[in-house]
Amino acid sequence: MTTFNWIKHAFDYVGGAQDEPPPGFPIQLGHWWFWAVWWGAMALAIYVFSGQSSKFIYIDF
Amino acid sequence: MIFNTWDYYLLFLIPSAILCRAASPRLRPWVIFLGGGLFFTYFSYTQFGGIVGVACLAIFLWESFVSRFYKPSSWFCWFGVTQTVVFLVLFKYRNFLTGLVWPVAGHNPLYWKNAFLPLGISFFTFEFLHYAVDRYKNKTEEGSVTEYLAFILFFPTMVAGPVKRYQDFLPKLRSISREWVVDWQRGVTRILTGLVKKFAVADVLTAYTNHLNWMDISRAQRAVLPLWLFAYGIKIYADFSAYSDIAIGSARLFGIRVPENFDWPYLRANITDFWRHWHMSLTSWLIDYIYIPLGGSRGRGGQVYANILVTMLISGIWHGAGINFVVWGLLHGVMLVIRRVWRRIRPMPSGTPPLWSQLGSWLLTCVAVNLAWAFFCMDVRTALFFFRRLLIG
Repeated sequence: MTTFNWIKHAFDYVGGAQDEPPPGFPIQLGHWWFWAVWWGAMALAIYVFSGQSSKFIYIDF
Repeated sequence: MIFNTWDYYLLFLIPSAILCRAASPRLRPWVIFLGGGLFFTYFSYTQFGGIVGVACLAIFLWESFVSRFYKPSSWFCWFGVTQTVVFLVLFKYRNFLTGLVWPVAGHNPLYWKNAFLPLGISFFTFEFLHYAVDRYKNKTEEGSVTEYLAFILFFPTMVAGPVKRYQDFLPKLRSISREWVVDWQRGVTRILTGLVKKFAVADVLTAYTNHLNWMDISRAQRAVLPLWLFAYGIKIYADFSAYSDIAIGSARLFGIRVPENFDWPYLRANITDFWRHWHMSLTSWLIDYIYIPLGGSRGRGGQVYANILVTMLISGIWHGAGINFVVWGLLHGVMLVIRRVWRRIRPMPSGTPPLWSQLGSWLLTCVAVNLAWAFFCMDVRTALFFFRRLLIG
């Protein structure tokens, strides 16, 4: 696996699009402390940026 | 405005996903069907057409009734295809098509003043058509009526895809994943990722993309124009891939995997690869139900190019009822044809191309795709004015 593909795979894994981490990635699904912090960070970002009323573009346009 | 509301998560997603997991295999399609029916009713009433929008639930019930007569090689399948296209044209294209004949709305005797779109019509149309055609070709089993209703009313994908296939969905419905913990861990992570993309990227970029109108373009400095368009390119990717993330993550909570829709499309080094990784469930639908029936890549060069152009023209019209979407679709068709012609003149070299060549191809693809968004987000007149200002000043 090239470095480029490894990085893409790592992003996909952390974003929930892949079930398995790339080889050598230190975080596993069972590392609850990491996922708790990660979910908290994402929830905070959602809270900070929410309230800008806009609809999804692709819902019947 | 559905996936970014509390109502969606608290009233529909979480209760339905838990009930679906707890239900016996016999009751599971009923849970999904009833959950989807309530979802359609609630959001149609509050956001899409009110009472008349709710009445459009009858389209699903009628389709599920008619679908019982779809048999291999039966003419009834073509009746199903026709009625589905008629529904789409009536709701989505009536004013656009009649407007070509009578451009002034006040003089158009067929103008529908209070026109609205039934929730998800652009997407459930694809699933209705797929089922009718695949039943005709005997490519999918019939399933029970509740299984079919669960397929078409599965609410995570009902509104804007990913576009599912019945033969993929049915085995998952009959035997949902038992890995609760992994599914919920991955599903929630995916949903949160989608919401971050929507709120922190797509919505933030709206401040820039809102300038893509005649007035602002006429007053702006030339240097900012490509930045606004590039911002739109990022916004539409963040917005729609966010939507797909939430849909796929939601389905995962049910224990059902649905097709992926995006796989890093902006990193692709040619337009063909871009379309293989952008809105993938739409692209594969267009290939299977438009491009291949037209003849696909068989036949002489001219015929293949015509097939590509027609397919992308239909893709453009499907994206929206407007001339600008026709132009956008055709532009992509022309780019795909140019790429095909180029590959005939200069076949792909064996081995990995040098880095400068890959970077050049990527840059060219990225610029072409982003310039074409001008016809997606602006009417033709404004888009042409944008390019005039960009190129001439």
